[in-house]
Amino acid sequence: METLNVEKKNLYNPVISEILKVESLTATEKRFEIALPKSAMLNHKPGQFVEVSIFGFGEAPISICSSPTRTPTFELTVRKTGRLTDKMHELKAGNALGIRGPFGNGFDIEKFKGKDILYVAGGIGLAPLKSLIDYTIDKRNDFKRIIILYGTKNPAEILFPKEIEEWKKRSDIEFYITVDRPDDKWKGNVGVITTLIPPLELDVENTIVSVVGPPIMYKFVIMSLKGKRIPDENIYLSLERRMKCGVGKCGHCQINGSYVCQEGPVYHYPRCKELEEAI
Amino acid sequence: MNDVTNSKLKKLKQYAFDKDSTLKFIEFLMQKTEVIAPQNKGQASYSYEIVKDAKDVVLDYPRTIQPLKKFFLPPVEDLLAFDLNANTYQEEKIEAKDKIFFGIHNYELEGIKRLDYSFKKGNPESNYLTRREKSMFIGISYEPDSYHFSESVGIPADKIDGFCLFFDKISNKSDYMVFVVDENGQKLIDSFGKVNEVKSKAEITAKKFQNKVKLHYNRIPQVFDHVYKSKVWDKVAERCVGCGTCNLLCATCYCFDVRDEIEINAKDGKRTRFWDGCMLNTFAEVAGGENFREKLNQRTRHRLYRKFKYITDHSGELHCIGCGRCSKYCPADISIVEIINSLIDDYTTQQKKN
Repeated sequence: METLNVEKKNLYNPVISEILKVESLTATEKRFEIALPKSAMLNHKPGQFVEVSIFGFGEAPISICSSPTRTPTFELTVRKTGRLTDKMHELKAGNALGIRGPFGNGFDIEKFKGKDILYVAGGIGLAPLKSLIDYTIDKRNDFKRIIILYGTKNPAEILFPKEIEEWKKRSDIEFYITVDRPDDKWKGNVGVITTLIPPLELDVENTIVSVVGPPIMYKFVIMSLKGKRIPDENIYLSLERRMKCGVGKCGHCQINGSYVCQEGPVYHYPRCKELEEAI
Repeated sequence: MNDVTNSKLKKLKQYAFDKDSTLKFIEFLMQKTEVIAPQNKGQASYSYEIVKDAKDVVLDYPRTIQPLKKFFLPPVEDLLAFDLNANTYQEEKIEAKDKIFFGIHNYELEGIKRLDYSFKKGNPESNYLTRREKSMFIGISYEPDSYHFSESVGIPADKIDGFCLFFDKISNKSDYMVFVVDENGQKLIDSFGKVNEVKSKAEITAKKFQNKVKLHYNRIPQVFDHVYKSKVWDKVAERCVGCGTCNLLCATCYCFDVRDEIEINAKDGKRTRFWDGCMLNTFAEVAGGENFREKLNQRTRHRLYRKFKYITDHSGELHCIGCGRCSKYCPADISIVEIINSLIDDYTTQQKKN
């Protein structure tokens, strides 16, 4: 029989970490700054996630919203939407959290260098994408244009207002925002995120697109990008699934034969086309 | 797939065991270590249990309800014990323990090999692999019933690699020809010492399977390349109730979920993992409420693709062992062999059209 002699690990032990700061972003979203013990580095790549746990409330996958260029701490933006995240929203600076990870592949940044970078973020999809946005801003000379498209349901759901102000001010970042349902004060674009794509003037062959948003959004964004003649090879998507264990065992995150926690959550669009369940 | 072929079998040492020496051999094993073997569980049902009395061991049985996986991946297992107030935890210590599994059918051991693959691949998991260490398996032949189809998935009656000894029943009086498959088996026989080597070399008795897949097992993954959109999935879903029995009884299913439980003192608690199944409604649901395999046809398809395609693409082995449990215990009487054969028909029709 084949040998069992492999280097095996306990895969499920969280590292007890400290919340340094909690910031309320919207009615349902908070941003947490977290430090690993002994100022250890998380060593993550943009697009990766961690498993967050609170004893008694379980564990859930949360994408990292800060760039590894801004270490040693890291940030998570969390929507209140379940047992664990409800509890997380009650926590304050100084409280402890369990962290496992980082998990997943992250964005293939090498492929982005020297290119125009187009970001398409829908709703809370801006959180995982912000990790990459900040990375490209911190290494601004490695990339050509940076274009950020961001759409939310209504103005009250807009995340990261401070950062957005910065992005708007900078001449080397093109930032466009739209909301589906404006309020009385809203003076900007109205409509779904795909309405921001047709007016763009793009060097399509040299533009790399990263898309993160709710499941429903991907097909429509892909259609709009195809309308602009962006090659499939230039498109990356980060897909949401239930990455319960993070280590390729529990089965919950599988898209066909692909474990999202191992091969994803960032997928090259040509690979998505091979996976019937992807989008 | 590395079979011990019949030509190799002829080179293996063989010993004759009768009913009495078999019983004495089990008692001998029990003196050395923990022995786990099939025993009666209710009427005409069987279960692998720790042997307390060698006479309880059942050697003629079609299959147990549960496969062997429960010994390495318990239905519920503690991962951590935590203190809510202090925010500290202790990881559960798992100790490798010597054990001998006696009277195991060959497909069952193949199931363990598939699980070994799954828990070793990528991130080798210590919980499973530590429990799995120091296990020895002693096989036994069986008469296929109308549910077994192991031969159709590449596990014929004479596939015995991985066992240390294999008991092949050669008469109705519980006489066995025992094949020594590896050095551990030889050591057991030598220290037992009460049996004689048989010089004339026998082969393992061939078995007739009534339940058959109508295409060679090497070609099943190829069929799965072409039947993703087959109507067969819809037909199965019309009958399936989504109870997940097939997942729970499957020798190669290992998906799990994890939850925290708090003691009544509101201070201590445990993080436990428990078996989950991809046939259950909420398996692919995320926190926002989106369910990525909401329909039964999608879930049935996913389960079958995990057996015949997804893992097979990496491991080179089918991850169905033909034990027939999912079909025998399905409350809607869905037969996995009928599903596969219908898919093969679909595939054949497609090929003719092209």
